[in-house]
Amino acid sequence: MSQTIIKDLMPKDELLASGHLACPGCAAPVAMNLVLKALGPQTVVTLPACCWSIIAGPWPQSSLRVPLFHTAFETGGAVASGIKAGLAARGDTETTVIAWAGDGGTFDIGLQALSGAAERNEDIIYFCYDNEAYMNTGIQRSSATPWGAWTTTTPTGEPEATPKKDMVSILAAHGIPYIATASVAYPVDLVEKVKRARTIRGTRFIHILAPCPPGWKTQNDETIDLARQAVQTRVFPLFEVENGRNWRLTVDHADEPVAPYIRRQARFKHLTDEQVERIQADVDDRWERLQRRIDCGT
Amino acid sequence: MSDITEPGRSGRNIPPIAISRMTTEVNLTGSWKYIRPRYEDRVAPCNANCPVGIDIEGYLYLLGQGRTEEAASLLLEENPMPAVTGRVCHHPCEDGCNRANLDEPVAIHSVERRLGDIALASPPPAAPDPARDEKVAVIGSGPAGLACAYHLARIGYRVTVFEAAPEAGGMLRLGIPEYRLPRAILDRQIDRIAALGIEIRCSTAVGRDLPWSELDTFDAVFAAPGAHVGKDARIDGASDTRMVRPGLEFLKEVNAGGRPVLGDHVVVVGGGNTAMDCARSALRLGSEVTVLYRRTPLEMPAIPQEVKEAKLEGVGFRFLATPTAARAKDGSLVGIECQQMELGPPDESGRRRPVPQEEGRFSMIADCVLTAIGEDCDLEFLPEGVEISGGVAAVDELCESTTARVFVGGDAADLPRSVADALGSGKRAAIGIDHWLRERSGEEVAPPDLAALRFGPGGNLSIARERGIDPLHRASPVNEVAGWDAMNPAHFEQAPRHEDHFHAAGDLTATFGEVNFGLSEREFRDEVDRCMNCGVCNRCELCLIFCPDMAIHRRDDGEGFEIDLRYCKGCGLCAAECPRGAMAMSREES
Repeated sequence: MSQTIIKDLMPKDELLASGHLACPGCAAPVAMNLVLKALGPQTVVTLPACCWSIIAGPWPQSSLRVPLFHTAFETGGAVASGIKAGLAARGDTETTVIAWAGDGGTFDIGLQALSGAAERNEDIIYFCYDNEAYMNTGIQRSSATPWGAWTTTTPTGEPEATPKKDMVSILAAHGIPYIATASVAYPVDLVEKVKRARTIRGTRFIHILAPCPPGWKTQNDETIDLARQAVQTRVFPLFEVENGRNWRLTVDHADEPVAPYIRRQARFKHLTDEQVERIQADVDDRWERLQRRIDCGT
Repeated sequence: MSDITEPGRSGRNIPPIAISRMTTEVNLTGSWKYIRPRYEDRVAPCNANCPVGIDIEGYLYLLGQGRTEEAASLLLEENPMPAVTGRVCHHPCEDGCNRANLDEPVAIHSVERRLGDIALASPPPAAPDPARDEKVAVIGSGPAGLACAYHLARIGYRVTVFEAAPEAGGMLRLGIPEYRLPRAILDRQIDRIAALGIEIRCSTAVGRDLPWSELDTFDAVFAAPGAHVGKDARIDGASDTRMVRPGLEFLKEVNAGGRPVLGDHVVVVGGGNTAMDCARSALRLGSEVTVLYRRTPLEMPAIPQEVKEAKLEGVGFRFLATPTAARAKDGSLVGIECQQMELGPPDESGRRRPVPQEEGRFSMIADCVLTAIGEDCDLEFLPEGVEISGGVAAVDELCESTTARVFVGGDAADLPRSVADALGSGKRAAIGIDHWLRERSGEEVAPPDLAALRFGPGGNLSIARERGIDPLHRASPVNEVAGWDAMNPAHFEQAPRHEDHFHAAGDLTATFGEVNFGLSEREFRDEVDRCMNCGVCNRCELCLIFCPDMAIHRRDDGEGFEIDLRYCKGCGLCAAECPRGAMAMSREES
C-alpha cells in the first residue's frame, strides 16, 4: 500500500488529546486514536480498570474528546450494555457504545460480563487492547500472557507455564456477528475493520495486540515493528469471523520464524533455543487450526 | 460544575458522580523525553548518481502530488533537454535506485521522457530579462554547449553559440541515429533553448570560418567542441580501399539523410555506443552486420539496452576478436583478417586487457568495415595558453581552463563521454562563468560552495540550489545520501517495473523511425507511484498515525509537519517508522 493512499484513507477526526499519561512508545493510545478516527465523534467509551484508566488522565481531566465512563474491572461488558440501553430508552439508536478493556479486564476479570453481553448479543463493540499482562499494576501475568514470558508473578525461574488463552475462539463460540483481530502496525486494516464493525448491529469484538515497552522489555521505538513482526511470524494473525463462522484472513502473512520476534523481547530472554522451538511449534499449530477454520468456513 | 447536585455530608454541593471538564493538554508530557525527533531530509541516490545533477526525487514527488507543471519546471531547472535525455541517457540514476533492493529500480528514464515530452508541448519559455551586460561565446551546440548557454541565458547573460555544422545539436544530431532520437524532438528541444534569447550561428567553425581573435568581443568563452576524430583501428591495407571507414563519419552521413551503399556484409569494430549506432544503422540500410569486439560482453562500454536492442534486431556479435588486415581486390574490400584474443591482466581502466591468442587467426567476408573504437578531440583552435593533457583540456571543476576567460567542457574535458555528463559539465561551466564574470565586474561574491551545491558528497552541482529554488520545502536538508539502510522496507509493497514498449524487432530494418515508444499514461503513473522518495518527506503522514502522543501536526501551509515538543515524549516511533529515513532523533540538551 503506497503511503499517500494510507493518508487518504485515514479519517481526519482528532478525538484523542495530547498530554495523556501513557508511557513513551505505548501502543494503546495509537490503537485508541485509530479506533476513534474510524468511529467518529458520536461514540461513548466505557473503560473498565486497565492502563487506559491512567492514560485518560486524573479527574478533572480526560484525554478523550468523546464521553468516557470509568468503571470497575469486571464490568466492561455490563456497563457498555447499560449505557447502550439507556441511550436507546432516550431514543438514541445512532451513538456507538464501546467497551475498551485491557487483556486482564477481558480474558480474566471481565470475562463473565463480556460473555453475558455477547450471549444477549448486546449492541456494543467490545475492544480488547492486549498487552499480554497486567501492565498498569506492575506486570502481573494474565491469561493473555504467552507461554514462557517473564512477569513479576511468573519470574524467570518459573515463567508463564500455560499458553495464551484463545479468546477469539471463546467469542466465536458465542456466535456474535463480528469478530476481528487487528494491529497498530496495519492501520488501514484496523480502521477498515472498525468501520465495518460500526455498520453491524449486535455484539462485535475486536482484539488488538498492543506491545508494551516496559512490560515486554523492549525499546520505546520498537512498538510498531513488534506489532508488525507478530503478524508476519503468525504469532498474531489478522483475520475476521462472521457469526462465529466464515473465518477469513485480511492481510498477507509472511512465514517469518518466531525466534527473532521472541529474542528481541527481554521478557523472553531466559528461554533456551529449545523453548523458543516450542513456541514456534505452538504458533505453527495455531496457524494450522486457523487455516482449517478458514478452509471449512466454520 | 454539574447541575445535578445534592447536599453532601459536609453540607456543600457535591456532584453524585465526578465529571471531567478539561482535557489532558495541561500535562506538558514533553518534559519526560531525553531524545527528540526532527525532520531532516536527505538526498535520494538517484539524485546523487545523476551526472546532470537533476532533482529526480523532487520531480517524482511533485508528479505524485499531481503537480505536473511544477515537476516539469523543477526538471528544467537542471536539465535543458529532458525529452532528449529521457530517450538517450544511460540513466545511472536507475543503478542507484533503492527500489532495486525491493524489486526493480523505478524506470526513471521513461518517466523523464514523458515529462520531457509534456514540457515540450507547453508554450516555449519567455526570454528572461537581460539582467547582465556581459556577453558569452559558446563553441559547439552539443549538449555541453547548449546546457551552458541555457543556464547562462536564464541568469540573464547574452549568449552566442557557434556551431561548425549546418544545424545545431552536435553529437545529438550528428552521432545519434534518428531511430533513437527523432529529429522533430531534437529540433523542438533546441528551439526552446534558443527561445531564451540565445543566438545560434551554424556553419561557423571557430578556427576555420571564424578566427579565435573574433571572440575577443566576448567577456567569456565556453569551448565544448566534442570529440569528432575517430581513432585509427590500425588495420593493415585499409588504405587500399574506401570501404574501411571511420564509423562516426558513416553515422554523420546517414544522420544527415545520406543512404550510402555498404554491401551485403558489414563488420563494425568496437563495443561502445558508436559501434551500436553504426551496426543498427547499417542494418537499416539492408546489410548483414557483425560487431567485432576485442573483449567480452561484460566489458562493453555501450548502454546495455542498446546492445540488447541490436541483438534483437539481428546484429551478430563476435567477441574477443580484433581485425588486423583488410583484403581488397581492385579497390573493393572482400574480407578482413582477424586475430582471436583472450583476456589478460587488468589495464589502467580496470578492465582486463585483451591479448592475442596464439594460433587464433581467422578471416571474415566483409564488403565494408566501420571502425568505432573511440574518438579524439581536435583542440587546435584553442589559444596556446590552454593546457592540453591526455588529449583533453586541463580544467577545474567549474570548467575554467589555464587561460583567463576560457572555459572548456563536454567531451573536450576529462569526463565520461555521455550526453548526461556533457549536460552536467555545461551546467558547471555556467556556474563557473557566472561567478568569474561577477568577480571581474567587482561584485563581492563568495566562491560557489561546491560541497553545498552537490547532490550528496559526490554528485553533480545543482543550479537550483544555488538559486535557492526548492518547491518541496525540504526540512533541514542534510547532504547525505539515503541508502537502503535508511529506509523502512516494511512500508513498501512489491510492484513490478514497467519497461518501455518497443517497435517489433522484425519491422525495424526498413525504418529509421523511433523504435522506443516509452510508457503509456497508466504505466507512467505507476512508475511515479513506485518512487519511494528516499530520504525526503513526501507527506505520507505515517508519523502522524504512529505518534502515540498526538504531538505531530500538519503545517498550515501544507508543506510538512510540526512536532509539538511540549507533548512529545521522545519515544522515537515516528523516526523508526518513517518509511524513507527523513526523520532523525537527537539527545536533549541536559
